[in-house]
Parts: sequence; C-alpha cells; structure tokens
Amino acid sequence: MKTTKRNSWIFCVAAGVTIALALSVGLAGQTATAKSSGGTSGSDPQWSVQVERIDPGHMDLAHSFQVAIYENLLEELAKTKRFKQVLREGDSKAGQLPNLLILKTKLVKYTRGSETQRAVTTVSGATKLSVQSQLITRDGNIVLDRSVQGNVRFFGSNFRATHNLARNIAKVIKQSEWPGPRRLARNSPVNPDSGRHTSPAF
Amino acid sequence: MDRLLVVKNGPGPFFVNRVLIAVFALWLCVSMAALAQNSAPRLKANAPFSIQATHVLGLPNTKNNCNGTLSTHDNLLQFQQSGQSVAQIDIASVRDVFLGEESKQVGGLPMKIGKAAAPYGSGRLVSLFAHKQYDTLTLEYVDGNGGFHGVIFLVAKGQGELVTKELVARGASSGTHEDQPTTRSTSEVAHENN
Repeated sequence: MKTTKRNSWIFCVAAGVTIALALSVGLAGQTATAKSSGGTSGSDPQWSVQVERIDPGHMDLAHSFQVAIYENLLEELAKTKRFKQVLREGDSKAGQLPNLLILKTKLVKYTRGSETQRAVTTVSGATKLSVQSQLITRDGNIVLDRSVQGNVRFFGSNFRATHNLARNIAKVIKQSEWPGPRRLARNSPVNPDSGRHTSPAF
Repeated sequence: MDRLLVVKNGPGPFFVNRVLIAVFALWLCVSMAALAQNSAPRLKANAPFSIQATHVLGLPNTKNNCNGTLSTHDNLLQFQQSGQSVAQIDIASVRDVFLGEESKQVGGLPMKIGKAAAPYGSGRLVSLFAHKQYDTLTLEYVDGNGGFHGVIFLVAKGQGELVTKELVARGASSGTHEDQPTTRSTSEVAHENN
C-alpha cells in the first residue's frame, strides 16, 4: 500500500516536471519565432524612430494627457528593442540619422472618465482613448498605419489609460512587419492605403 | 418737528451695542487682512520654495507615481524622493506650464481591498467620499539637444498656482495656461471626429 502511494507520488512529480519542461521549450520556441519575424531582415540596418507629440485634433484633451501619452510612448517603444534609437520631437540628432521613421499619433476619439465613478458604479466612468498611429519615412512614405485604443475601465487613475494606450501602440509596432531601409529604398513607394489596418481590441 | 438735527445730551440706550458692533467689525476686518497676508504667496526671487508633490511621470531617472519634495534652487526645479538622488530641470528651458485638476481615490491598495471586502457593497459608498482633488502641474521643456520633454506632478489643491507663479518668476519662458479638466463627475462625454 505504501509502495503504491509512493509510486503514484513519484509519477505525479515526474509528469509535472515533464509538462513544465515541455511548456518552457514551447515558449522559448515561440519567442525565437517572434524575434525572427519581428525584426527586419538580417542585412538591412535597423530603423530609428522619432516620436512626435500627440495631435489632439478637435478634441479637448488635457495637456497632461497629451504629455503622458508622449512620455509613455517613448518608454514603451524603447522597451520593444525594435528600433536602434528612440528620439524625441525636436531632437537635433535626428538630422544625422540616415534611417529614420517618424511616429505620428492623432487622437480620433476620447471619452473622459472619472475614477470615483468607476469605483462607485464599476460599469461607468471608463476613460477611453482611440488614436491613429502612423510610421512615416522622411520621404513621406507611410510604412505603418494603425488604429489603436487604450482604456481604463475598472481600477487605476485616468492616467492609466495613457499608459495602456502607449503600451498597445508599442505592441502593435512590435508585432507588425515593414520593409527595412534598403528594401524600402529599392522598392517603389508604399501605397498609403495598403498598410491601413485596425488593431484588434485590447 | 421741523428740526433736522436733534442734539442729544446723553449716549442713548443703544450706544454700547453700536460701539460693540463697530469694534467687532473692525476686528473682523483686521483679522481678515492678516489672514490674506499670511496666505499670499511669498515670491521673493531667491527665497527657497518647497512643497510636497507626486511625480506622475516624465522626470529622468525618477520612478513614476512617487512622492517627494518639489523645490526650486536658483534656476533649477528639483524633485527629490526621500533618500534618493535629485532630479532637476533648468527652469529657463521650460516652455509651457499647464495647470489642471484631477480627482483621485485615496488610500491606495489597502483601501481598495477594504472596500472590496466591505459587506453589502458598502465599499462603493466609501468610494463616494474617499477621493481627493489635486492640481496637476504639466511642464513642457526642451533638453540640450532640443528634444521635447513633458513632466507631470500632482500637488495639493491650490498649490499648483503657487508653483507656476514661482516658475514664471524664476524665468520659465512662457506664461501659465489652464489645462482642460481630465475628470467629469457625472456623465461621460464622447467626442468623435466624424
């Protein structure tokens, strides 16, 4: 009886270890695939990116929100390691970089929320932001054009929406593919409409 | 009956009351003036200025959403967390200062857990009162390379104006602007381009 119990215990542990190993190997494989598909081709040099300030359009988005999106974007884009350098708007170093993309972000939709309202009602008071993000070359070729959302529905301050939005934009950029600088120079200009997609809801 | 002026010899029955009222009014005026003097900002050019603030984001090498002391020394705006190094901005590089309002729930995580654990949804009732108004101070400045930076601080209500005045007095190149409110207490307003 004792031996049977011990055997079953050993079997369970062994099975657990096997499953954990299999999962970790699978995840490592996925990461490697993502890395190889995410970056530009090996011979092509890496792009750098200059982040422009948020264009609020006709919306009355508070300056604190605009600044928060801009600063969070810089932080999140640096985390993706997709770009050689992440530069700020107006940075004089941008003029010396040969392979530079410019990230333009325009506010499309904005719903003001309230943290208190969220805490009291749960279902209302969400802060919602929706933007159109474009990566553009110096020549004006649009290499990426996506619609991205960032919300805070339950917990967190209103600034949390700006963080979520920046994270989602960085995620979309990380997962997207576009030609490297040399390939883009060889090919004809990209049709602006061809790269237009809408990101899945986050 | 036809005389306009009536000369009285004695002080009259309400004289003491009138004197008391006059003295009280005088005391009220003097105390209000003294209060106003005390609450008026001291904006001496070189006097040190220091308040408690929360750094929301934007300062280099500083954690987001951390509390510390916001102060000015000479031409520098400094933020120091307790026991941490000082982050500073040259006030002359500040291009714009925006002042706004933000309402935040107080108490942090312990309060959230407490509200969630409260029976019959009474935590929601607590949420109704457990919030505090802050001033948001948004600074836009440029670095040595011309790169645009933004910093956001939360300060106690009423102190944002003092900081902006202090910054302008110390050479922030632009005046202050009222920022759009970021919260709305009753209803949501959606704006669309189309």
